[in-house]
Amino acid sequence: MAQTLEIESRGGKAGTPLLEVQNLVMHYGTKEGDVSAVEDVTFTLNNGEAIGLVGESGCGKTSIALTLLRLLPDNSVVKSGDVRLDGESLIGLDEEQMRRRRWRDISMVFQGAMNSWNPVYRIGDQIREALRLHWPETLTYQEETERIAALFELVGLNPATMERYPHEFSGGMRQRAVIAMALSCNPKVIIADEPTTALDVIVQDQILRELKKIQKELGMSIIYISHDIAVIAEVTERMGVMYAGKLVELGSTIEVFHRPKHPYSYLLLKSTPSITGPRRKLAPLEGEPPNLIEPPSGCRFHPRCPFATQQCIDEDPPLTTVGEGHSVACWHWQEVPEIGGLQK
Amino acid sequence: MVKYIAKRFGQIFILFYVFLALLFLLLDLQPGDISQQFVGNPNIPPEAKVIMVRQLGLDQPKIVQLGHHLWNYSFGMDMGVSWSSYPREVADILFTALPRTVFLFLTATVLSFWLGFYTGKLVAWRRGTVVEKSVMVTSIFFWTVFYPWFAILMLWFFASQLGWFPIGKFITVETWIGSPFSADSVFILMLTSIAAVTLVYGILRLVIDRSTDDPRSRQNLHRIALWSLIAVATVFWAFNSRRTYAMDILWHTVVPVLTLTLVNFAGTTLLTRSSMLETLREDYILTARAKGVPESTIRDRHAARNAMLPVTTSLVLQLAVVIAGGVITEQIFSWPGLGRALLGAITAEDIPVAMGALALIGVLSLLAHLVADITYAFLDPRIRVQG
Ligand SMILES: Nc1ncnc2c1ncn2[C@@H]1O[C@H](COP(=O)(O)OP(=O)(O)O)[C@@H](O)[C@H]1O
Ligand code: SF4
Ligand SMILES: [Mg+2]
Repeated sequence: MAQTLEIESRGGKAGTPLLEVQNLVMHYGTKEGDVSAVEDVTFTLNNGEAIGLVGESGCGKTSIALTLLRLLPDNSVVKSGDVRLDGESLIGLDEEQMRRRRWRDISMVFQGAMNSWNPVYRIGDQIREALRLHWPETLTYQEETERIAALFELVGLNPATMERYPHEFSGGMRQRAVIAMALSCNPKVIIADEPTTALDVIVQDQILRELKKIQKELGMSIIYISHDIAVIAEVTERMGVMYAGKLVELGSTIEVFHRPKHPYSYLLLKSTPSITGPRRKLAPLEGEPPNLIEPPSGCRFHPRCPFATQQCIDEDPPLTTVGEGHSVACWHWQEVPEIGGLQK
Repeated sequence: MVKYIAKRFGQIFILFYVFLALLFLLLDLQPGDISQQFVGNPNIPPEAKVIMVRQLGLDQPKIVQLGHHLWNYSFGMDMGVSWSSYPREVADILFTALPRTVFLFLTATVLSFWLGFYTGKLVAWRRGTVVEKSVMVTSIFFWTVFYPWFAILMLWFFASQLGWFPIGKFITVETWIGSPFSADSVFILMLTSIAAVTLVYGILRLVIDRSTDDPRSRQNLHRIALWSLIAVATVFWAFNSRRTYAMDILWHTVVPVLTLTLVNFAGTTLLTRSSMLETLREDYILTARAKGVPESTIRDRHAARNAMLPVTTSLVLQLAVVIAGGVITEQIFSWPGLGRALLGAITAEDIPVAMGALALIGVLSLLAHLVADITYAFLDPRIRVQG
């Protein structure tokens, strides 16, 4: 029995494709018009890999996460594209089939996970609920308790605290417990949407470090989502940069961090105070993110881009390969300068 | 939890005495002297007047009078004698009326809460449908209707037009002629059997919950326990010679209970709906969906369970309204309960009975508050733990 209770990832062989997002287009219908929240997004998460999505608030990161789990609100429409898990299309599943896959195959650590707990039930019982829904065999109460205790220990919580109610936990403890719950059914993929945004910097750092350790130890596949490029840099191997619903740059984290090729990534990095390196002069990222009901023509970044030309206004740049596993959607990527004084 | 209940109990105790003292002072502030009123009352024989002057202790200072008053009410178990039905004891009059009132309100409150909560929950879940809209319109009608008019309408329809139910009152006098049982003894037995079923069920639930952890078998055992208890009670009454009389009383309770239930039910429905809609926007509902919790479980276990909290709170706040409505209800349905005793006493200027009735109504509302508070504490762990 101990064998089946082991905490592990149920993904396949490390490095093989696990979750494939292909040309995903998702809009929200509103009275003012269609919100183009996800526009032609393609990326792959491999087994055992941690990847990141970064971009300003409102650029469609959460929308992608919710599309993967099919938890979108009623006014949303998946216009085209596909999401494949182990080769099977999730978009084509009926609601009941999808429900069985949630948390079992893809679990999630939500943005603002502080409020992810139902205030009237004990933390342990809320994890127990996930186990009862998805664990392939029927576990005894004792076995469930043992598993929850093991999960608590893994995320650095005292197992005795599983008897407590959410309001008796600190923010950091609640977030650790959310991670324990996300791991509870041995998922294939975990999506962590702004997993530490609401926490203070010290706790944030501790939790990120532990998440990274757990991810490595279990060979877990994780998609991190954050507006904070420093968070993404700390925990991922590959990352995508999003702007106004589109994926504008995709590459290894080290590569994007050191040699960004998209003007938006470049400005984003320049305007982020470096944690590790020497102080940099902050370059301004001027203007506001665009309205997604009537997004700018051509390249959506052109109103804010210092490199913009007439071509950028007229034509939408395709995602082109610029190096080993590194692609960028920009007409003038070659003009983007080297980032100065940044070390990882 | 024990600390919390003890604290609440202490508060209620103090409040009760403050209430009694206020009642006393309010009456004392009335223009004229109470003694004037009863001295001039020709219904009371002169020798009784002498006794009553002494009993009332009107020659003593006010503070001593107040002390006596409080002492008699709490430890002396003595609320004096009625003036209009002299020499009947006030306590006797009121404690006969008390169970009738408690029954009427408890039944209507429990029924309307349960039905209203259930309807509100479903309506919020089916937001935007025709069902929702029609339930809303109906509820708003019941909620805003002028209550006395509605009560009379109900009587007219069910009793006068359809003739299904009696026009008010507690019993049909003809049925009871030659009955070996008093109406009150039968009624008390009815109440006792309801209380017994509830109590035994509560105990059985506790026992069941301790014996098994599996939610499915728990639920099944709960059901079996409830239905077997109901079966036992039914068999008990079916073979009881008081059966016909009990049925007569039951028959008289239908329209008043229905009227009160309908009006309270509407309020609970509206409140549950809005509370539910708010709860459904919470983050933990999205978490539950992401966890793959089935929709009906999200509705019942996650959303409705939390939506219940504000509904319970408002139930406490509405209590005053319910009590005020109670006096009207009893009057219209000629239901011989506390409210009617109070109204009758006021009309007959029977001050001891009026005082006693007010005090009892005060005790009832304080107790209801206490029960609601304790229920709330059980429902919300954030209060439970603080103590
Ligand atoms: N239910 C909705 N209806 C209409 N627009 C929405 C809805 N949810 C999100 N949006 C819009 O979609 C865009 C992307 O939102 P979101 O995915 O939450 O971004 P992020 O997570 O990157 O902050 C935003 O412009 C937001 O205003
Ligand atoms: S395509 Fe043009 S506007 Fe868009 S990022 Fe590149 S240079 Fe800037
Ligand atoms: Mg977001």
